[in-house]
Amino acid sequence: MLSIEAMRGWGANVDEALVRCLNNENFYLMLVQKAVQDQNFDRLPEAVAAGDLDKAFDAAHALKGVTANLALTPILKPVQEITELLRGRTETDYAPLLSEIRSQRESLMQLF
Amino acid sequence: MNNRNHRNDMPDLQNKDRKRRILIVEDEFVNRELLKVYLEDKYELVIAETGTQALEALRTQIDTLSLVLLDLNLPDMHGMDILREIKKDPELNRIPVIVLTGDTESEVESLNTGASDFISKPYPRVEVIMARIRRSIELSENRDLIRGTELDQLTGLYNREYFYRYAEQYDLYHQGEDTDALVVDISHFHLINERLGKACADGVLRRTGGALLAAVKESGGIVCRREADTFQVYCPHREDYEAFAEEIAAAAGEGLKARVRIRVGVYSRVDKTLEMERRFDRAKSAADTIRNSFSASVAVYDDALREKEVEEERLLDDFPEALIQKQFAVYFQPKFDIRQPKPVLCGAEALVRWKHPEKGMVSPGVFVPLFERNGLVRDLDNYVWREAAAQVRRWKDTLGHAVPVSVNVSRIDMLDPELTDTLRGLVEDNGLDYGDLHLEITESAYTEDAKQIVSVVSGLRELGFRIEMDDFGSGYSSLNMISTLPIDALKLDMMFIRTAFSEKGNMRMIEITLDISRALNVPMIAEGVETEEQMLALKKMGCDIVQGYYFSKPVPAEEFERFLI
Repeated sequence: MLSIEAMRGWGANVDEALVRCLNNENFYLMLVQKAVQDQNFDRLPEAVAAGDLDKAFDAAHALKGVTANLALTPILKPVQEITELLRGRTETDYAPLLSEIRSQRESLMQLF
Repeated sequence: MNNRNHRNDMPDLQNKDRKRRILIVEDEFVNRELLKVYLEDKYELVIAETGTQALEALRTQIDTLSLVLLDLNLPDMHGMDILREIKKDPELNRIPVIVLTGDTESEVESLNTGASDFISKPYPRVEVIMARIRRSIELSENRDLIRGTELDQLTGLYNREYFYRYAEQYDLYHQGEDTDALVVDISHFHLINERLGKACADGVLRRTGGALLAAVKESGGIVCRREADTFQVYCPHREDYEAFAEEIAAAAGEGLKARVRIRVGVYSRVDKTLEMERRFDRAKSAADTIRNSFSASVAVYDDALREKEVEEERLLDDFPEALIQKQFAVYFQPKFDIRQPKPVLCGAEALVRWKHPEKGMVSPGVFVPLFERNGLVRDLDNYVWREAAAQVRRWKDTLGHAVPVSVNVSRIDMLDPELTDTLRGLVEDNGLDYGDLHLEITESAYTEDAKQIVSVVSGLRELGFRIEMDDFGSGYSSLNMISTLPIDALKLDMMFIRTAFSEKGNMRMIEITLDISRALNVPMIAEGVETEEQMLALKKMGCDIVQGYYFSKPVPAEEFERFLI
């Protein structure tokens, strides 16, 4: 069962996020559970693998908005980084960042 | 559209208790849910998760929406494209749009594209969001309140009065730049109205307005609806407007079977010391020169036109004095009955000449159309009627007889409630018979306000005046209508004679009009007959009466007496 404490322990900036959620803890936790299901988590690595950096940028950008709103800091950080790289359509090895995003997402899901 | 403007007339008074509606365009569940929680108590929300849904909602519900919250990152299109779509559409562009974005770059771009504000991601404190939304709605409603009186309701463009103010503002920001004033109108718009209906015609006007707006959007400039089917554009100078005219015409006629023609009058590189309205008068004068042209769609105001206008202005100024000083001379052109073996004088047409003290003889081809446009023709007609009636009296007195004299009755005279009394007075004061004056009324007068004209003409005819339909064939009367009109003669439009004899063998139009005159059992009068060949051909075809240089040009009364003796 996901809890505020567990979120805090995982690294989310819960205080910031709760203000945004009008201090409604249940609402926040519900949104977090929805956020980890976001299809852009799959689209991003798929697009990178296919070499479609435009699509990858859109996916990363969308994830950035959502994870920032919920202050999911451990995911937000690599997502921000990859978004900036993709914005410049930088040819680089995206694997480390993708792997970081994946593992942080998995660890968050462990809390459910 | 109309409802929309109504609503905006009194946003606060009427809608005090009603929640304003906001369209949220956001595909991310989390972001959407947050906004819903913030806004749902205070606003009614419409949700779109894709760009397509957003545009659909905008097009169908624009009248009831107060604001759009627009995410830029949508699955099917970029939010910026939706913003552009909204801003270029005259029906949508008044709605304020707040862009939702996490990028500083997009913030700037969206403000430049016409967004009223932005909300960054991660979202700021809810109070900030609420305040931005409230302020954008208030600003837009205040602006709408002002604009309610500034904008043309059908097209959403400026109306003429405000346009001039904005044009002056435009000048302030474009000092030292060459600017053009355009008057754009739709040829034969009344026919579109009649043939396709008002709804369709309104569509043509809206599309024309939208296309003009789009055309100046790239180059800069402003557009208004001047009146009815006429628009004005004030924009940076360009050399050529042919492609522009075609582009507008294509957009205006979109989806119609009939082709829509656009006329563009250009006053190029305007003189900025000239009053704003005068600049557009010049563009209008240019447009008017191609009023009846089927080939030209662009006309430019030039020196020749300027001189013509100055000249016309002088003639208008000189007119009142000319009447007092009797500078107008009435000439008479004989009409001959050619049904007899030898042509017999059967009447005359009274025609006016202007002996101007400085300019000499001024052609009626110059001043009559000018006075018709300015309404002065009524005074001129009255003058000619008086002179003609007095002359018939003099001939009766000195020669013991006269012939019926035809005088022109202009369309505008028909609207004069005194017309019948005036004409009756002339006959009675001069001791004439009603049959001594024939009234020539142009065909096109009948088609403009048939009912009113027919009733006036019927009254005149019952008194005993003879009515001749002038310029027959130049208007668009239906055969059905002609058969019910109170007329005593048809006068064939001079153009028919000219074309019939210049294009060999093209007598068909004359034959048809002769058939009509026979069917109506009234004589046909042909004017503009210049040669014996023409006279004989007309006689052979069965034309009854002929007038023209072949017999005599219009001559002064004394000279006309030789026909009477």
